[in-house]
Amino acid sequence: MSSRPTFSEEIANLLHAAHGNPIRLCMQCGTCAGTCPSAPFMDHTPRRLIAMINANMKDEVLASNTYWYCASCFHCTVRCPCDIDIAGLMYALKRYSMWKGQHQPELIGPVFSETFVKTVFRSGRSYEPILATTYLFSFGLQDFITEAQAATTMMLKGRLPLLPPRIKRLKNFRRMIGRVIPVGGLE
Amino acid sequence: MNQPKKLLIIDDDPDFVEGIKAILESANYSVDVAYNPKDGLKALSTLAYDMLLLDIMMGRGAEGIMIARKMRKDAKLRQIPVLIITGIREQMAFLFPGEPVHPRFVEVDELVEKPVEPQLLLDKVSALLKAAESKKDQAE
Repeated sequence: MSSRPTFSEEIANLLHAAHGNPIRLCMQCGTCAGTCPSAPFMDHTPRRLIAMINANMKDEVLASNTYWYCASCFHCTVRCPCDIDIAGLMYALKRYSMWKGQHQPELIGPVFSETFVKTVFRSGRSYEPILATTYLFSFGLQDFITEAQAATTMMLKGRLPLLPPRIKRLKNFRRMIGRVIPVGGLE
Repeated sequence: MNQPKKLLIIDDDPDFVEGIKAILESANYSVDVAYNPKDGLKALSTLAYDMLLLDIMMGRGAEGIMIARKMRKDAKLRQIPVLIITGIREQMAFLFPGEPVHPRFVEVDELVEKPVEPQLLLDKVSALLKAAESKKDQAE
Protein backbone atom coordinates (compact mmCIF):
# COMPACT_ATOMS: atom_id res chain seq x y z
CA MET A 1 0.00 0.00 0.00
CA SER A 2 1.96 3.00 1.19
CA SER A 3 5.73 3.05 1.06
CA ARG A 4 8.00 3.58 4.04
CA PRO A 5 7.36 7.10 5.39
CA THR A 6 10.16 9.64 5.65
CA PHE A 7 10.89 11.40 8.94
CA SER A 8 8.81 14.43 7.97
CA GLU A 9 5.93 12.12 7.06
CA GLU A 10 6.32 10.35 10.40
CA ILE A 11 5.96 13.70 12.14
CA ALA A 12 2.97 14.54 9.93
CA ASN A 13 1.43 11.21 10.98
CA LEU A 14 1.84 12.22 14.61
CA LEU A 15 -0.07 15.36 13.79
CA HIS A 16 -2.74 13.92 11.54
CA ALA A 17 -5.43 14.56 14.13
CA ALA A 18 -4.53 18.24 13.91
CA HIS A 19 -5.94 18.16 10.36
CA GLY A 20 -2.63 17.59 8.67
CA ASN A 21 -0.72 20.39 10.35
CA PRO A 22 0.83 21.87 7.21
CA ILE A 23 4.50 21.99 8.24
CA ARG A 24 5.44 21.53 4.59
CA LEU A 25 3.98 24.94 3.81
CA CYS A 26 6.46 26.71 6.11
CA MET A 27 7.94 29.64 4.20
CA GLN A 28 10.72 30.29 6.73
CA CYS A 29 9.57 33.80 7.59
CA GLY A 30 10.98 33.45 11.10
CA THR A 31 7.94 34.93 12.86
CA CYS A 32 7.90 31.95 15.26
CA ALA A 33 11.58 32.36 16.13
CA GLY A 34 11.19 36.11 16.58
CA THR A 35 8.16 35.61 18.82
CA CYS A 36 9.42 32.73 20.92
CA PRO A 37 10.29 33.75 24.51
CA SER A 38 12.40 30.59 24.93
CA ALA A 39 14.35 30.97 21.67
CA PRO A 40 17.56 32.25 23.37
CA PHE A 41 17.78 28.96 25.31
CA MET A 42 17.21 26.71 22.31
CA ASP A 43 20.03 25.28 20.21
CA HIS A 44 17.89 25.62 17.06
CA THR A 45 15.08 28.13 16.66
CA PRO A 46 11.60 26.78 15.82
CA ARG A 47 11.99 28.09 12.26
CA ARG A 48 15.19 26.15 11.77
CA LEU A 49 13.70 23.04 13.39
CA ILE A 50 10.80 23.04 10.92
CA ALA A 51 13.27 23.34 8.03
CA MET A 52 15.26 20.44 9.49
CA ILE A 53 12.12 18.28 9.73
CA ASN A 54 11.21 19.07 6.14
CA ALA A 55 14.77 18.11 5.16
CA ASN A 56 14.36 14.78 7.03
CA MET A 57 17.30 15.47 9.37
CA LYS A 58 15.98 13.04 11.95
CA ASP A 59 19.06 12.66 14.17
CA GLU A 60 19.75 16.39 14.35
CA VAL A 61 16.12 17.14 15.18
CA LEU A 62 15.92 14.53 17.94
CA ALA A 63 19.27 15.61 19.40
CA SER A 64 18.15 19.24 19.68
CA ASN A 65 16.69 20.69 22.88
CA THR A 66 14.30 23.04 21.06
CA TYR A 67 11.07 21.13 21.60
CA TRP A 68 11.81 20.50 25.28
CA TYR A 69 12.40 24.22 25.88
CA CYS A 70 9.05 25.15 24.34
CA ALA A 71 7.05 26.89 27.08
CA SER A 72 3.72 26.20 25.28
CA CYS A 73 2.77 29.86 25.19
CA PHE A 74 1.29 29.28 21.71
CA HIS A 75 2.41 32.70 20.51
CA CYS A 76 4.07 31.15 17.44
CA THR A 77 0.91 29.21 16.60
CA VAL A 78 -1.19 32.37 16.81
CA ARG A 79 1.15 34.43 14.66
CA CYS A 80 2.14 31.87 12.00
CA PRO A 81 1.00 33.21 8.59
CA CYS A 82 0.85 29.65 7.22
CA ASP A 83 -1.44 28.40 10.02
CA ILE A 84 1.07 25.87 11.29
CA ASP A 85 0.41 24.77 14.86
CA ILE A 86 4.04 25.05 15.94
CA ALA A 87 3.37 24.43 19.64
CA GLY A 88 1.43 21.31 18.61
CA LEU A 89 4.43 20.25 16.56
CA MET A 90 6.67 20.66 19.62
CA TYR A 91 4.32 18.40 21.60
CA ALA A 92 4.42 15.85 18.77
CA LEU A 93 8.23 15.85 18.92
CA LYS A 94 8.13 15.43 22.70
CA ARG A 95 5.87 12.40 22.31
CA TYR A 96 7.98 10.97 19.51
CA SER A 97 11.24 11.31 21.42
CA MET A 98 9.76 9.92 24.64
CA TRP A 99 8.15 6.93 22.93
CA LYS A 100 11.43 6.12 21.25
CA GLY A 101 13.58 7.09 24.23
CA GLN A 102 15.70 9.31 21.98
CA HIS A 103 16.23 12.68 23.55
CA GLN A 104 19.13 14.50 25.14
CA PRO A 105 19.86 12.62 28.37
CA GLU A 106 20.38 15.51 30.80
CA LEU A 107 17.13 17.36 30.06
CA ILE A 108 14.66 18.16 32.83
CA GLY A 109 11.61 18.18 30.54
CA PRO A 110 11.05 14.42 30.14
CA VAL A 111 11.45 13.69 33.88
CA PHE A 112 9.22 16.63 34.71
CA SER A 113 6.48 15.49 32.31
CA GLU A 114 6.63 11.96 33.60
CA THR A 115 6.36 13.01 37.24
CA PHE A 116 3.62 15.51 36.47
CA VAL A 117 1.45 12.93 34.72
CA LYS A 118 2.13 10.39 37.42
CA THR A 119 1.11 12.75 40.22
CA VAL A 120 -2.05 13.85 38.43
CA PHE A 121 -2.87 10.25 37.59
CA ARG A 122 -2.57 9.14 41.22
CA SER A 123 -4.24 11.96 43.10
CA GLY A 124 -6.09 13.94 40.46
CA ARG A 125 -4.08 17.08 41.22
CA SER A 126 -0.49 18.21 40.77
CA TYR A 127 1.61 18.51 43.92
CA GLU A 128 4.52 20.94 43.71
CA PRO A 129 6.76 19.60 46.53
CA ILE A 130 7.09 16.26 44.68
CA LEU A 131 7.29 17.85 41.25
CA ALA A 132 10.03 20.26 42.25
CA THR A 133 12.25 17.67 43.90
CA THR A 134 12.42 15.65 40.68
CA TYR A 135 14.51 18.29 38.99
CA LEU A 136 15.71 20.57 41.78
CA PHE A 137 18.84 18.54 42.52
CA SER A 138 20.09 18.72 38.96
CA PHE A 139 20.77 22.45 39.44
CA GLY A 140 23.78 23.86 41.28
CA LEU A 141 23.74 24.50 45.03
CA GLN A 142 23.11 28.23 44.61
CA ASP A 143 19.96 27.65 42.56
CA PHE A 144 18.83 24.97 44.97
CA ILE A 145 19.05 27.37 47.95
CA THR A 146 17.22 30.10 46.04
CA GLU A 147 14.43 27.67 45.08
CA ALA A 148 14.20 26.31 48.64
CA GLN A 149 13.95 29.84 50.04
CA ALA A 150 11.18 30.74 47.61
CA ALA A 151 9.35 27.51 48.47
CA THR A 152 9.62 28.19 52.23
CA THR A 153 8.24 31.70 51.83
CA MET A 154 5.36 30.40 49.73
CA MET A 155 4.63 27.67 52.23
CA LEU A 156 4.55 30.17 55.14
CA LYS A 157 2.06 32.29 53.19
CA GLY A 158 -0.07 29.22 52.57
CA ARG A 159 0.56 29.22 48.82
CA LEU A 160 2.19 25.78 48.76
CA PRO A 161 0.31 22.78 50.15
CA LEU A 162 2.00 20.62 52.80
CA LEU A 163 -0.05 17.50 52.08
CA PRO A 164 -0.84 16.22 48.59
CA PRO A 165 -4.31 17.45 47.58
CA ARG A 166 -6.95 14.86 46.78
CA ILE A 167 -10.03 15.20 44.67
CA LYS A 168 -13.49 13.87 45.33
CA ARG A 169 -14.49 10.64 43.59
CA LEU A 170 -10.96 9.63 42.66
CA LYS A 171 -12.23 6.27 41.44
CA ASN A 172 -14.44 7.89 38.81
CA PHE A 173 -11.52 10.03 37.72
CA ARG A 174 -9.32 6.97 37.30
CA ARG A 175 -12.01 5.24 35.28
CA MET A 176 -12.19 8.32 33.09
CA ILE A 177 -8.45 8.17 32.47
CA GLY A 178 -8.81 4.45 31.79
CA ARG A 179 -11.05 5.36 28.87
CA VAL A 180 -8.25 7.41 27.36
CA ILE A 181 -5.31 5.16 28.22
CA PRO A 182 -5.96 1.44 28.55
CA VAL A 183 -5.08 0.63 32.13
CA GLY A 184 -5.67 -2.59 34.00
CA GLY A 185 -8.22 -3.95 31.52
CA LEU A 186 -10.79 -1.35 32.52
CA GLU A 187 -12.42 -1.20 29.10
CA MET B 1 -4.26 -23.87 -3.06
CA ASN B 2 -5.83 -21.42 -0.64
CA GLN B 3 -5.62 -17.70 -1.19
CA PRO B 4 -3.05 -16.12 1.15
CA LYS B 5 -4.72 -14.44 4.12
CA LYS B 6 -4.84 -10.66 3.91
CA LEU B 7 -3.49 -8.84 6.93
CA LEU B 8 -3.44 -5.13 7.68
CA ILE B 9 -0.87 -3.49 9.94
CA ILE B 10 -1.67 -0.09 11.44
CA ASP B 11 1.48 1.19 13.11
CA ASP B 12 3.36 4.48 12.90
CA ASP B 13 6.84 3.05 13.46
CA PRO B 14 8.38 2.29 10.04
CA ASP B 15 11.27 0.26 11.48
CA PHE B 16 8.99 -2.03 13.45
CA VAL B 17 6.58 -2.39 10.53
CA GLU B 18 9.40 -3.39 8.20
CA GLY B 19 10.43 -6.12 10.62
CA ILE B 20 7.05 -7.75 11.21
CA LYS B 21 6.04 -7.31 7.58
CA ALA B 22 9.07 -9.34 6.51
CA ILE B 23 8.26 -12.05 9.07
CA LEU B 24 4.62 -12.28 8.01
CA GLU B 25 5.39 -12.25 4.30
CA SER B 26 7.88 -15.05 4.73
CA ALA B 27 5.03 -17.08 6.26
CA ASN B 28 3.00 -16.50 3.09
CA TYR B 29 0.59 -13.84 4.28
CA SER B 30 -0.32 -10.88 2.13
CA VAL B 31 0.39 -7.76 4.16
CA ASP B 32 -0.83 -4.17 3.79
CA VAL B 33 0.42 -1.30 5.93
CA ALA B 34 -1.12 1.97 7.07
CA TYR B 35 1.19 4.34 8.89
CA ASN B 36 -1.44 6.47 10.56
CA PRO B 37 -4.85 5.78 12.10
CA LYS B 38 -6.71 7.77 9.47
CA ASP B 39 -5.34 5.77 6.53
CA GLY B 40 -5.85 2.63 8.59
CA LEU B 41 -9.55 3.21 9.11
CA LYS B 42 -9.97 4.08 5.44
CA ALA B 43 -8.28 0.86 4.40
CA LEU B 44 -10.37 -1.16 6.86
CA SER B 45 -13.61 0.23 5.54
CA THR B 46 -12.78 -0.04 1.84
CA LEU B 47 -10.97 -3.38 1.58
CA ALA B 48 -11.71 -6.75 3.14
CA TYR B 49 -9.06 -8.02 5.55
CA ASP B 50 -8.80 -11.29 7.43
CA MET B 51 -6.97 -9.76 10.34
CA LEU B 52 -5.70 -6.50 11.80
CA LEU B 53 -2.41 -5.92 13.61
CA LEU B 54 -2.86 -2.76 15.61
CA ASP B 55 -0.49 -0.44 17.45
CA ILE B 56 -1.82 1.59 20.38
CA MET B 57 0.39 4.62 20.85
CA MET B 58 0.02 6.63 17.65
CA GLY B 59 -0.72 10.22 16.70
CA ARG B 60 -1.82 12.27 19.69
CA GLY B 61 -1.72 9.42 22.16
CA ALA B 62 -3.61 6.16 22.42
CA GLU B 63 -5.24 6.47 18.99
CA GLY B 64 -5.13 2.73 18.42
CA ILE B 65 -7.80 2.51 21.11
CA MET B 66 -10.00 4.84 19.09
CA ILE B 67 -9.72 2.56 16.06
CA ALA B 68 -10.61 -0.46 18.17
CA ARG B 69 -13.65 1.35 19.56
CA LYS B 70 -14.83 2.32 16.10
CA MET B 71 -14.40 -1.29 14.98
CA ARG B 72 -16.49 -2.52 17.88
CA LYS B 73 -19.37 -0.28 16.85
CA ASP B 74 -19.33 -1.57 13.27
CA ALA B 75 -21.10 -4.92 12.80
CA LYS B 76 -18.83 -5.95 9.92
CA LEU B 77 -15.53 -4.77 11.32
CA ARG B 78 -16.36 -6.39 14.66
CA GLN B 79 -15.79 -9.80 13.05
CA ILE B 80 -12.17 -9.10 12.13
CA PRO B 81 -9.72 -10.55 14.65
CA VAL B 82 -7.33 -8.00 16.11
CA LEU B 83 -3.82 -8.55 17.37
CA ILE B 84 -2.75 -5.57 19.43
CA ILE B 85 1.02 -5.15 19.29
CA THR B 86 2.06 -2.39 21.62
CA GLY B 87 5.03 -0.93 23.40
CA ILE B 88 2.66 0.86 25.76
CA ARG B 89 4.17 -0.63 28.88
CA GLU B 90 7.59 0.59 27.86
CA GLN B 91 6.30 3.95 26.70
CA MET B 92 4.02 4.66 29.62
CA ALA B 93 5.21 2.14 32.21
CA PHE B 94 5.61 4.87 34.79
CA LEU B 95 1.83 5.15 34.86
CA PHE B 96 0.87 1.61 35.72
CA PRO B 97 3.65 -0.60 36.97
CA GLY B 98 2.66 -4.25 36.99
CA GLU B 99 -0.94 -3.75 35.88
CA PRO B 100 -2.47 -5.72 33.02
CA VAL B 101 -2.99 -3.64 29.90
CA HIS B 102 -5.35 -5.74 27.88
CA PRO B 103 -8.74 -4.24 27.34
CA ARG B 104 -11.04 -6.40 25.21
CA PHE B 105 -12.42 -4.52 22.28
CA VAL B 106 -13.70 -6.95 19.68
CA GLU B 107 -14.81 -10.57 19.88
CA VAL B 108 -11.45 -12.03 18.97
CA ASP B 109 -8.46 -10.10 20.11
CA GLU B 110 -5.12 -10.68 21.71
CA LEU B 111 -2.30 -8.50 22.96
CA VAL B 112 1.44 -8.92 22.61
CA GLU B 113 4.05 -6.48 23.73
CA LYS B 114 6.88 -5.05 21.67
CA PRO B 115 9.49 -6.31 21.00
CA VAL B 116 7.78 -9.47 19.73
CA GLU B 117 9.45 -12.80 18.99
CA PRO B 118 8.94 -13.83 15.33
CA GLN B 119 7.67 -17.31 16.23
CA LEU B 120 5.30 -15.99 18.88
CA LEU B 121 3.93 -13.49 16.37
CA LEU B 122 3.27 -16.20 13.77
CA ASP B 123 1.70 -18.49 16.36
CA LYS B 124 -0.64 -15.76 17.59
CA VAL B 125 -1.60 -14.74 14.06
CA SER B 126 -2.50 -18.26 12.98
CA ALA B 127 -4.31 -18.97 16.27
CA LEU B 128 -6.41 -15.82 15.93
CA LEU B 129 -7.24 -16.54 12.30
CA LYS B 130 -8.33 -20.03 13.27
CA ALA B 131 -10.41 -18.75 16.21
CA ALA B 132 -12.14 -16.20 13.98
CA GLU B 133 -12.88 -18.85 11.36
CA SER B 134 -14.36 -21.31 13.82
CA LYS B 135 -16.51 -18.52 15.25
CA LYS B 136 -17.73 -17.74 11.76
CA ASP B 137 -18.54 -21.40 11.12
CA GLN B 138 -20.49 -21.59 14.37
CA ALA B 139 -22.50 -18.54 13.39
CA GLU B 140 -23.37 -20.14 10.08
